[in-house]
Order: sequence, then structure tokens, then C-alpha cells
Amino acid sequence: MTSTLPAVTGAKVPAQRTAVPSPGSTRRTTSPERLRGSRPDLVLCAVLLVAILVVQGWNIADYPTLSDDEGTYLAQAWAVQEGRGLAHYTYWYDHPPLGWIQIAVLTWIPAHFAPGSMTVGSMRATMLVISAVSAVLVYVLARRLSLPRWAAGLGMVLFGLSPLSVVLQREIFLDNLAVMWTLLAFCLAASPSRHLWHHFGAGIAAATAVLTKETMLIVLPAVMVTMWRHSHRDTRKFALTGAITACALIGVSYPLLALLKGELFPGPGHVSLWDGIEYQMTRPGSGFVLDPGSGSYAVLQSWLYYDRVLPVGGLAAALLLLVTWRWSVTARALAGPALAVAILAAMALRPGYLPAMYVIQALPFLALVLAGGTGSVAHAVLRRGRRTDERTYLTWGRYAVAAALVGASAAYVVPRWYDGNRTAVTADANAPYRAAAEWLGSEVDNPGKARVLVDDALWLDLVHEGYKPGLGVIWFYKADLDPAVTKTMPRGWRDLDYVVASPTVRRDAVDLPNVKAAMEHSTPVATFGTGEDRIEIRQIQAAGGDR
Amino acid sequence: MLTSVFIAVVSFALFWMAAFTLWWQMHAWRTPEVLASTRFSRPDGDEHVSFSLLLPARHEQAVLDHTVQRLLESTHTDFEIIVIVGHDDPETTEVARKAADRDPRVRVVVDTHEKKNKPKAMNTALPHCRGDVVGVFDAEDQVHPELLAHVDHAFRSTGADVVQGGVQLINFHSSWYSLRNCLEYFFWFRSRLHLHAQKGFIPLGGNTVFVRTGVLRDAGGWDPHCLAEDCDLGVRLSSAGRKVVVAYDSEMVTREETPSSLMSLMKQRTRWNQGFLQVYRKRDWKQLPGFGQRLLARYTLMTPYLQAVSGVVIPLNVAIALFLDVPVGIAFVTFLPAVTALVTFVFEIVGLHDFGKQYGLRVGFGHYLKLIVGGPFYQVLLAGAAVRAVWREQRGRTDWELTSHVGAHLAHVNREDVPA
Repeated sequence: MTSTLPAVTGAKVPAQRTAVPSPGSTRRTTSPERLRGSRPDLVLCAVLLVAILVVQGWNIADYPTLSDDEGTYLAQAWAVQEGRGLAHYTYWYDHPPLGWIQIAVLTWIPAHFAPGSMTVGSMRATMLVISAVSAVLVYVLARRLSLPRWAAGLGMVLFGLSPLSVVLQREIFLDNLAVMWTLLAFCLAASPSRHLWHHFGAGIAAATAVLTKETMLIVLPAVMVTMWRHSHRDTRKFALTGAITACALIGVSYPLLALLKGELFPGPGHVSLWDGIEYQMTRPGSGFVLDPGSGSYAVLQSWLYYDRVLPVGGLAAALLLLVTWRWSVTARALAGPALAVAILAAMALRPGYLPAMYVIQALPFLALVLAGGTGSVAHAVLRRGRRTDERTYLTWGRYAVAAALVGASAAYVVPRWYDGNRTAVTADANAPYRAAAEWLGSEVDNPGKARVLVDDALWLDLVHEGYKPGLGVIWFYKADLDPAVTKTMPRGWRDLDYVVASPTVRRDAVDLPNVKAAMEHSTPVATFGTGEDRIEIRQIQAAGGDR
Repeated sequence: MLTSVFIAVVSFALFWMAAFTLWWQMHAWRTPEVLASTRFSRPDGDEHVSFSLLLPARHEQAVLDHTVQRLLESTHTDFEIIVIVGHDDPETTEVARKAADRDPRVRVVVDTHEKKNKPKAMNTALPHCRGDVVGVFDAEDQVHPELLAHVDHAFRSTGADVVQGGVQLINFHSSWYSLRNCLEYFFWFRSRLHLHAQKGFIPLGGNTVFVRTGVLRDAGGWDPHCLAEDCDLGVRLSSAGRKVVVAYDSEMVTREETPSSLMSLMKQRTRWNQGFLQVYRKRDWKQLPGFGQRLLARYTLMTPYLQAVSGVVIPLNVAIALFLDVPVGIAFVTFLPAVTALVTFVFEIVGLHDFGKQYGLRVGFGHYLKLIVGGPFYQVLLAGAAVRAVWREQRGRTDWELTSHVGAHLAHVNREDVPA
């Protein structure tokens, strides 16, 4: 050999190297299996999708209870639609705004035709779009991670029909949108054509997910692992750097937004991104998740109340996959989702703040690893060590074991899920809210002049009833925390007319002097519901007369 | 308001321009299959095509003999080398004659044109060609011994009329601009040309290009008045529907050196730009059948000017966003072109790494630094060359400004000749 140059990269591309470098040779010789063209996949996916949409969509407005956060995001989406900026109160970098900008786009058409429908209950229906896309992406991802068809279907069912998923995916949470983008990033990272721009797109989708809900940042390593596994040696460095660059550049747009608004760093008289991040990073922790006295433990219990199969089973499956990494093809194929579950679990064990919607980010990955783990077990039972000349009774034994396992799991899961989902499609948890909104719409004489403290979930309803958004109908905590609002209340609680005391308001009033005072100087004029969940409309004493 | 609209329009235009350029630049790495298909396929050992290799040489006595000897080492069995020298250049003629005396495969053709240039020289030699295929090399080229066998195979197996092999500048360590210059070649021959071949519109390179003799004679040879006769030939052949195949193998590329000074690089680039402009104005590309092909042709031939404009406008745009009082949304839009420019930058860094790997060259941290820091200055150089080209074309100055070679790449590449 006379050449001192290294030979051309030795690795052969799996698809047969074309005989000649002809212009048309970019077509791959063995075309990848296209899901779009596979009838069994399409049928299975469509049937499961319909089932998921029916269960999630039925009674979506009335269950679960309207959450404060839903109200916040939808109201901010409304502000975006109305051209009032990124929020109707000062936007203070609590979260990147991309999430509710998407909600604004999503709800734009229905809100355009029926402005009154821009309330939490009715706009939950738009979340079905997100659920549907996410569920399909779970199926696609499962197939791209080479799970068999039945396991991909199982993953989709676990993701879409677990009572925990049904409850959480119905709600207008940014996390649900972020999950959709993350799943898209995973699907693109696992693109069978290993196309440079698919990987680039994965970076963009991942960045969008982070800008939708910043906590998605911690899942990005799992996207990277998936991409690494699915890229080819010869093009990997371009694919990976491309994806990282795309992700970083899109991500930078958030600080850039702050910079352009002159709000990157703290300063007198304005909010800043810095302060926003500082707030999120220093939120008081809710304790260790396994300490029964802690807030985190209560959150965990609230998840397990709805479903144990998905969270516990998923964790166990992730563990199984990580342990069998050496031997199991499935375990290696599912490295990305398993890593995502591991990261999210590790983060939950950290004694920081654990929000109730935290588990939403984990749902698709729990579903995928549980489906993959089931696939692994099925393979072990039915195929492992099986020879072509295996005796018939042994083969039948394998099938018997498999059938027993399926039967046992079904016996455990089906009744529990049936109960959970039956509640979801029948219970009406929001009657008090609707009644309160109706009362405030009909019983208050001049809504345009009245000033009411409400929680975020009810805010839009009152806007539609004619109350003045922002300073007429007020997010209750703004009365203490937003200088732009407190400045309009020089006499404190005396400048208000009503307080709508929902459970959230009663809980938080303890730390909010103005709200607390308003509660103390008011009497209930109407009460809806009973016990802890009741909603009282309280009229401020001595108000009205001099106003 | 008007300012905002204007800025937005300019930004979007720049963005799409940069995005398309980037898309094409990365063509070869789109999928592993595409990358594999850009290489030469292994020859089958059969040889049926005979070659006439044209070697125009003008004041190249220092490097000519080495190049001829190296060509003679070729493993292919049926080829002739035609060295074209000027009647006013006795030193080079002397070297060529000596080579011809040593080996019957070498012939010398004397070009007697009063004003000389490369296309005239090659047209002079065209009637003397006996081979089925005419190949063009430059006097300073380092040609791989197995290249002809690969090209032979490519002609036979694809039924191509034209085969363009890779050309690669190697001396990236010489200066900051040679680093960028090498990388330009890398992206062009490694990646972008393949896209052009696929789309059926291709500006050919100046050497390592092989054309069936009949096809070349039918086309009337090279245009003696065009400053980018290579590009012009490619445009005419592809407009006539001829099949062009491009193959790049890091082992098999023809190695060249970058211009020895900034000024000669500037002159070379001015000549190319002016040539592209001439080709654009000749309108041969209008005969391309597809609308997309014509658009690609228009865009490619105008690239130097678009490059010049964008080099100035992108920073200006960002400055406007930062310092002028425009709505936040508009300010965001102004960053779009900068974003694509950044992505291009990153891919260039990765490209440099790949270049080092492919050629077994050590690329140090300093080189990456040079690549980044040199970027804006190189952009200025390109813009300067573009402006200069327009200026010269307007003034009707269409003479050749020749690039001189010192053989910087030879010492480096000579290692190859040492038997292991």
C-alpha cells in the first residue's frame, strides 16, 4: 500500500450502496417501511384514536374541576387574541409565552365564531386536538422504535386511556402541548430515513417544547440519545450538531424577546426575565416525595388515586429495561423513553417543588416503556430459548403462561380503569362554577362598574358577562402582587364589591393581605356547592353606597 | 410602519435565500444513502474508454513535469496526454517536449493565438484528441493513479456524457483565507455539485472534468470569450439535456492549492464572478426544460451578487433590530437571516472536522478559531470580488487575470509517493 491516507469511511450503509453514482441514485434501494402506507397500522391507530377521543371528550367540560392554571393560560391566550399583548396583566416571565400563544391559535376559530365560548369549560374541547396528535405520535414513535404493532397499540391505549391521562389531558395545561412537541421531536429523531433535516426538525420541535413549558428541558438528553441511536455513523455529526444548533437558536429567542423589550436584567420599575427565572428557581420546595407529611407526597397520592398501573407499572418497566439493557433488543430500542422516565423520576425525588401537572410530561414515556416492557416479557415467555423442534406441550405451556399473564393483568386493570373513566365521563364537578358565573351575570346590576376578585378559572366567564377585564374583574392575587392593580385600590378592600371565594381563593388568602381583608369584610350572598369545594359569592360590606 | 414592512420583506427574502443555499450546501449529508451515492463505485476491472487528457500549461515550468509524470503513473491502459503550450512560452515548451520525448503517450500542441486564454488553448487541442473521452487537468494538479479507471467505469455503467470528478484544495493551513477557500471547495464538490447533477443543471468545474469527445465537438468546444468557460460548458451541455454524473471520493480527488496571495484569490474570484455573469447573459440556460431548473440556474449564476448583498445587509438588519425602535415582532423577523447564517456557520465547523477526517489532516483548535473569526472578512472579500466583477464587466474588461502557482500543496501531498 502506498497511500498514507485513510480509506474512505469503512462503514457500509445498510441500504445497498448503489452501483453507480447516477443522478437518480438518491432513492434508497430498500425503501423504509412507511407507516402511512400500512393498512393494519392505520386501522389499529384509527380505532384506538376514536376510543381515546370518545373517552377523553365525553363530559370534558364538567370533569375534572376547573383548575386555576387552566384559567390563567386561557385568559392569557384570550389577551393574545384580543391584541392586548402577551397577558392582560403585566407579563412577568413566569413561563415562556409560546404555550398560550399556541392556545390562542388553537382556540382562535371557535372564539371567533362564538366569543362567549372562550371559557375554560368549553375550550377544553380544543385540547382534544392536542391529545389526538400526541396519541398518534405515541403510536408512530413506538413503531419507529421497532415495537411490534400490538405493543405500539398498547402504548397508545396506556397513554390515552389511563384515568390519570384522561383527567390531566383534558385540562388546558401547557404541559400537554409541550408533551406533543416533545413526542414530535422523538419521532423526528427516530426518523427511519435518517434525514438531516428531520433531525434538524427534531431540534426545532424540542426547542418549541421547552418554550412551551420550560421543564421539558430535562427530557432533551433522552431526545439526543434517541437521535444518536437512529443516526448513521457517516452523517451523525452533521445530524446531531444540526439538531443542537436548531434547538439552541430557537431557544435563544426567549432571552432575545426579553432583550428586545429591555427586560432581560432586573431594573427599577420593570419586570425581567432574570427575576422570572429567579422566582421559578427559588419556589419553596414541597418536600421529599416519599415523606408522608410532605406536599410532594400528597401530589404523588393524587396521581396514584386516579391510576396506579401507568405510573407504577411504567417505572417498573423502565427499571426492567435498564437492567436488561445488555441482552434485550427492545431495551436498547427504548433507551430514549426509558432515559426520559429515569430523568423525570430522579427529578421528582429531588426535594424541590413538585407541581401537580409534573406527571403529564412523563405519561407518554411511561406508556412507551410499559408497552416495551410488556413486549420484552412477551418475547421472553413466547420466544426465548425456543427451538424449531420444541415439543408441542412446551409450546402450549408458553401460550398458557402468556394467556394467564394477560388474564391477570386484565383482571387487575380493567375494573379500575372502568371505574376511573366512568367517573370522568359522568361526574359533574363544575356545577358550582357555572352557577356562580350565572349568578354574577344576572344578579349584579351594573357589571361594567363592579369590581370583583375571582380566581383565574372564572375570570373569562365574567369578562363575557360584561365585567371590565383586568381592573373590574380581577385575578384575586393581583390585588396584592401587581403594583398596577394595587395602585387602583388606594382604600384596599373598600374599593372592591365582591369576592368569589373558590377553594383556591380561600387557600391562598392566608398569604395575601388585601384578599384576606376582603374576605373578612364580606358576607356571602350566594353559595354554590357544599363543603370544601363550595363557591361563595361574598359581597363587601359598606361597599356600593359611596361608590 | 413602512420601515417595518420594508425590513420584514428584506428579512424574509434574505432568510429564504440563505435557507435554500444552506439546504443545497448540505445536500450530500441529507441521508446516509445520499452520502454513499456521491462516491465513485468500485471499477470492475474492465476498461473500454480511451482518454485524451488535456493539460494546458502557461508559465508552469516549475510544476508541469511533476504533474505529467504523475499522470503517467495512472493505472489505466489507454490514454494520451496532450500538453498545450503557448508559442511565446519557451520554458514551459521545453519541459513539455522533454516529457514527450521520454514517453510516447505525451504529445505537445502549440497554441499560436495572439491573445491567449485557457478555452482557446483547449479548442486548439480538441481536433488532435484521439480518445473517446476528453479530460481536462491543470498544470499543477495532483491526480490519483486510479482516477481514470474509476471514471472509465462511471462512463460505462451510467451512460453519462460528462463525468465530473472531485477537486479539492488541500493547503488549508497556509492562511486564514486558504482555510475558508478549501472549505468552499469541500462543500461545493463534496455536496452541492451532486445536487446540480441530480437537478439537471450543472456549472462544471475547471478540471477533472471528462466529456465524450463527440459530445464536446458537437457543442463546439469551449467558448473562447467566456471567463468561466468551464461553467459555460456545463450550462450548455445540461441545457442540451446531456447527462452529467458527479463523483467525489476523498482518495480520488484532484488536489490543488489555493491562490498564493489574497490579491490573486481576489482576481480569481473576480474572474469567476464575471464569468458567471457572462454565462447568465448568454441565456443558454433559458433552454432548460423545467421551471425549477431555470430558477436554480438563475439563482446559481447570480449567487456571487446575492452573496455580496446579503453580506452587507444581514449585519445591517440586525443592527436595525437592536437599535431602531421597531415593534418586537418585526425585530424578531430581522433575526431570521442571522439565524440561518449561524446555522451555516455551525455546519462549516462540522464540515471542517469532516474535511480533516476525510483527508487525514490534523485540524487544530486554532483552525476552527480562524474559520469563525475569518468568516466575516471572507464575506467582505467575496463581496469585494463581486463588486469588482460587475465593475469590470461594465467597463468591458474581459481579459484573463491569471492565478500563479507556487506548488504549496506539493510538499504536503508528496508523502503519498513514498512507498509504505
